[in-house]
Amino acid sequence: MINQDQRLLLVFLIPAMLLTGMFMYYPMIGTLIESFYQTSFISPAPKFVGFEVYEKVWQSRDFSEIVWNSIFWTIGVVLLQNILGFLTALLLNQGLPAQGLLRAIILLPWVLPGVVAAILWRFMYDPQLGLINSIMIRTGLMESNAAWLADSSTAMTAVIIAAVWKGFPFSTLIFLAALQNVDREQVEAATIDGAGPVRRLFDVTLPAIRDVILVNIVLTTILTFNYFDMVWVLTRGGPQNSTHIFPTKIFETGFGQFRFGEAAVYGVFSIIVLAVLVALYVIIQQSSQNRRRTA
Amino acid sequence: MIINRLMATTAVCCLLAGAAQAEVTLQFWDNQQTESGLSQFQQEAVDRFQAENPDIKVEVTTIPYPEYQQRLLTAVQGGNAPDIATLDQIWVAAFAEAGAVADLSEHAAKSGLSRDQFFAGAWDSAAYGDGLYGIPFNVDVWQFSFYNQDLLDAAGVDPQSLTTFAGLRSAAEAMTGDGKFGVGLFGHKGEDTVVVVNSFIFSNGGEVLAADGSCALNQAPAVEAMTYLQDLAQFAPEGILNASSGDMRELFLNGSLAVEFWPALEQPTLQNSDLNWGFVNGTAPEGKTAVGTFGGWNLAVFDSSEHQEAAWKFIEFMVREDVNGDVVDLIPANKAAATAFLAENRQGPDEIMAHLDNAAPRPLSARYLEVADIQMRLYQDVFSGAEVQAAADAACGDIDALN
Repeated sequence: MINQDQRLLLVFLIPAMLLTGMFMYYPMIGTLIESFYQTSFISPAPKFVGFEVYEKVWQSRDFSEIVWNSIFWTIGVVLLQNILGFLTALLLNQGLPAQGLLRAIILLPWVLPGVVAAILWRFMYDPQLGLINSIMIRTGLMESNAAWLADSSTAMTAVIIAAVWKGFPFSTLIFLAALQNVDREQVEAATIDGAGPVRRLFDVTLPAIRDVILVNIVLTTILTFNYFDMVWVLTRGGPQNSTHIFPTKIFETGFGQFRFGEAAVYGVFSIIVLAVLVALYVIIQQSSQNRRRTA
Repeated sequence: MIINRLMATTAVCCLLAGAAQAEVTLQFWDNQQTESGLSQFQQEAVDRFQAENPDIKVEVTTIPYPEYQQRLLTAVQGGNAPDIATLDQIWVAAFAEAGAVADLSEHAAKSGLSRDQFFAGAWDSAAYGDGLYGIPFNVDVWQFSFYNQDLLDAAGVDPQSLTTFAGLRSAAEAMTGDGKFGVGLFGHKGEDTVVVVNSFIFSNGGEVLAADGSCALNQAPAVEAMTYLQDLAQFAPEGILNASSGDMRELFLNGSLAVEFWPALEQPTLQNSDLNWGFVNGTAPEGKTAVGTFGGWNLAVFDSSEHQEAAWKFIEFMVREDVNGDVVDLIPANKAAATAFLAENRQGPDEIMAHLDNAAPRPLSARYLEVADIQMRLYQDVFSGAEVQAAADAACGDIDALN
């Protein structure tokens, strides 16, 4: 039997459930259904083909390139962004003068719209007019101009660097909040026991913020896997597919070539990866809550 | 009492009159490719149209070019298509195949609009199957070779030499060095890459698709043209695989690039610069005339429009000789309007007309966008140094598999 409180709870939940269903699950289920149909702009009458489109995508030259690119891109950005974010947070946690100004400066890349940041980096990477080549040639690190975004061997690294610059303040913010909550008494006790800064970091600070680190890694992985604007503006997935990742491929296939069925298949693969990551996030959250309860 | 009846009768008459003159409101979508103040000119033309047709109101929506395709596609898929829109020549077949746009053959026949009033390639781009799914609105051709006269003079290059394959290569070699680049080739994943490479293929007697719809990119004329471009790329700025016509324009405007490839649309930009510039019509093998790749937009009426007659009236108005030149930022598709427009707004109007008359359209296929995507990959492979015949064979395999 549902009591009055539970009924009231349901009434309050219904609007949120309706909105979530309409704006999240309906498109997701629609994408899943569309992936089993041969459908494009020029053949709007959908024809059920089962796993035929999946097979076509799976066997295409593009698919394996996009999977590997997405893995390299996501690991590269997440790793560098979190390391840089953590180091910056440690620095900001030292009580330096002009803390407020420093934080504002560090946050600047994050608050810039993605497209604006991408255009800035496009200028910086420009082979003839860009700042990066200019600095490297003046300092003797290079003899002639390099085309960072036009060379398949350097394009992905160049895009990752730009994305890390744009995203690391997000990690810094979260790490800084966690660092400021580390128990001062434990740090002082470790200092009195003779632990140096490195020992204190590894034995006191890192264990204390372990859950935040894990949550941050999962969150940035989800955000990075879904990142579109930086890659699209810098390279459009090129040259020769070397920077194509799932979001850029979905956009190009769906809106560039009107092949909705195929775009839906790439979308389903994306959803599966993201679902695993979200599940991981929930598990980490729950285990950290359980730990807090038992502590 | 009498006064009351009179007032009631007057009110009823007013309501009936209002209903009889009910306005039709047309939604017209166009895109803007330059900062030419097109929206304002189009609004002035719309005001003229509304004055001539008081029962039709037109609401113009001008969308920036990069967003246009996506916005239009989303609107059509969502059942919110406008009544009339400009469609890129390369989209018409797909929109017609999808049943999204109306066949205008009967309207055109009744109104006396025919192929000979427009550039032939532009008219053909609106034809699909037995139908006519658009009326040419504006046109241009890729590419003209715009050159920096000072750089040519310094290297002792005759501008006319740029019109031949051998001449362009020698000139590019002579003008490359000391921070200057001989030729503005570009190879990013974009349609501008496709049309420029196509133009070299067309000029060498090649095709993208043969008459039977099969891929012709691995045939000798196309392979020769791509091999030529692969070699020519050594005289282009570094990084052409991520460079567009826009990037080359920046280098051309700052004086470090001798030759850039653009349609006639580039002229207003150059006219506003301090450069000492000129242009020639594309590049072809010795003894042949360069064949450009047609570009441009057609006016189409969406099948979902409830005001087909009013929409047709608006199209007839927009392509009229005395209107067409006022409402486009490329070149009017109406040849009479184009002649007047070019004489007033462009240098070398006769050369431009000749290049337009000799231009070839891109393949009129409902799957053009997929074909073009494969072409982009092929051209990137070519510019990366791949063996041209093998790359073209692979691309043709992919294109033929589409059918």
